[in-house]
Amino acid sequence: MSRTAALSSFVESAPPGELADVTKAIKSILGDDSSVQGDLTPAFEKYNEEQFATVKLPGGSGEVLISEYNNLGDGRYYDVESQSSFAFDHATQKSSGVQSYVLESSHSDLVKSLVKSLSIHTSEHYPKSSLGVYPTEDDSQLAIITVANKYSPSNYWNGRWRSQYIFSPSSGSLTGTIKVDVHYYEDGNVRLLTNKAINVSVGAGAGASEIVRQIANAEKRYQEDLNKAFGSLSEGAFKSLRRQLPITRQKIEWEKISGYRLGQDIGGGRSR
Amino acid sequence: MTRATSTDPRSWRGTAKHHQNQQPFRPSTYSDLFLPFSINRNMATDPIDSALDLLRRLNPKDVKKNVDHLIELNPDLTEDLLESVDIPLSVKKCSKTKRDFLCCDYNRDGDSWRSPWSNEFEPPVEEGEGVVPSERIRKMEIRANEAFDVYRELYFEGGISSVYLWDMDDGFAGCVLLKKAVSPTPKSSGSWDSIHVFDAQDRARTAHYKLTSTVILSLGTDSEALGGMDLSGNMVRQVEQDMAVDDDTSHVANIGKMVEDMELKMRNLLQEVYFGKAKDVVGDLRSIPPLSQTNRDRATQKEMISSIGR
Repeated sequence: MSRTAALSSFVESAPPGELADVTKAIKSILGDDSSVQGDLTPAFEKYNEEQFATVKLPGGSGEVLISEYNNLGDGRYYDVESQSSFAFDHATQKSSGVQSYVLESSHSDLVKSLVKSLSIHTSEHYPKSSLGVYPTEDDSQLAIITVANKYSPSNYWNGRWRSQYIFSPSSGSLTGTIKVDVHYYEDGNVRLLTNKAINVSVGAGAGASEIVRQIANAEKRYQEDLNKAFGSLSEGAFKSLRRQLPITRQKIEWEKISGYRLGQDIGGGRSR
Repeated sequence: MTRATSTDPRSWRGTAKHHQNQQPFRPSTYSDLFLPFSINRNMATDPIDSALDLLRRLNPKDVKKNVDHLIELNPDLTEDLLESVDIPLSVKKCSKTKRDFLCCDYNRDGDSWRSPWSNEFEPPVEEGEGVVPSERIRKMEIRANEAFDVYRELYFEGGISSVYLWDMDDGFAGCVLLKKAVSPTPKSSGSWDSIHVFDAQDRARTAHYKLTSTVILSLGTDSEALGGMDLSGNMVRQVEQDMAVDDDTSHVANIGKMVEDMELKMRNLLQEVYFGKAKDVVGDLRSIPPLSQTNRDRATQKEMISSIGR
């Protein structure tokens, strides 16, 4: 594997909120090497667009997100709600050069009402999130994106929830994915990574509130399923890997260990 | 010799293993592992520290692949990385006894691994190559393997165990390895790898034990309803203890007790982190009940509490 490919794979699996730490470590490992930045730049761009990196615009209030759908080229992106475009530095995740930007789309009314409905939904279910709705595929479809981050590096955990949907106004289909990424790293390294495909038929000509209602339903159902899955992994795979205590409910008497006979004294674990 | 520690003083990783001299599986300077963290703390930008920090962040499932990449990027790190990073254990079959055994850096000589059942290397090494324990230590190793075979059956009801011991100037050191994989349903799977590395320093009628334990736990499900879910990682803990010793049988019992207590503790910890903490973080990211309702409930509760206080 080439050096660039190896470095890109590191950047790609950076946990939520830890891109700067990963970059710092990479630079230290490679020593004083000025070509690193160049090697990393394409990986940063890919990471930021796939992870829906969020950035505060100069003078703006909330954070706006970065994705392939609001990329204007030349390192500039746009935000529908604030009607502005901005330059985004993929290495530092900082914005600059804000200009006004008016969306030109045959669906601009639907985009605006989706942004409004989606904001109501996200503020009810995400303590902190950013969203975006952007025309795509030659204005034939709409990308609907939500990202919620919570970083708590002082407690050694960080998390990210990403939802991404493509709505087709002509067919009324809504397809997308929900991805959850949680990293816990106190005295270890534990990662939760999930990926759920969503496929709903909303109906052609559906309005913003109906689309958002379907998204809300899908996300609620998914979160409930995910919560259940924690329970069934704990009761299933985890329990069958290692018992908390032997079947006798007693710790081993190590002084008498040579007297234990497999399959007899120990409850027949092997004969089952 | 300095030992690289992780940049985070609270993390045990990086101190978990030993430095080796010449012979790859005979740690001779194990004692410098337990230097106080503060001594090495200002070495945070040492490339090995950075490599360990990076591995603590990247997907733990890819640890083997990532170690390989790091070695390619900076070959100077090879030895330190192979010594300090725990990767899932591989399995070999002992051709003499037909029993499976576990492979790690501690029973390795080049591309061969010593079987705890036959004391012979698989594949065989050249005549005179491949270090084996002294007679006394090998006797203890046989006993320890028998004991942990019982332990494995009692706690894991399956899987594979292997214990390796080696001589030290003031005692001996060793590792206890356990591995089990399950797939309770076609759509879910799990694997558990325990790597317990210890040393025992002989003192008058007692021994001082130091134990570093790593558990690598991987769980996953994949179904149409839920989609893909992977919950994987590792946790590391250390403990030191003085225990009474009558003869070499006591050593096996003492190590058995320490490993048993440690695994119980770690199993509880893993349960808490995997099924408690990870789930809580998901709940912190997204709330199933509407937040306006949650906030109203909280305000009502606050009011009630303050009215009781009045």
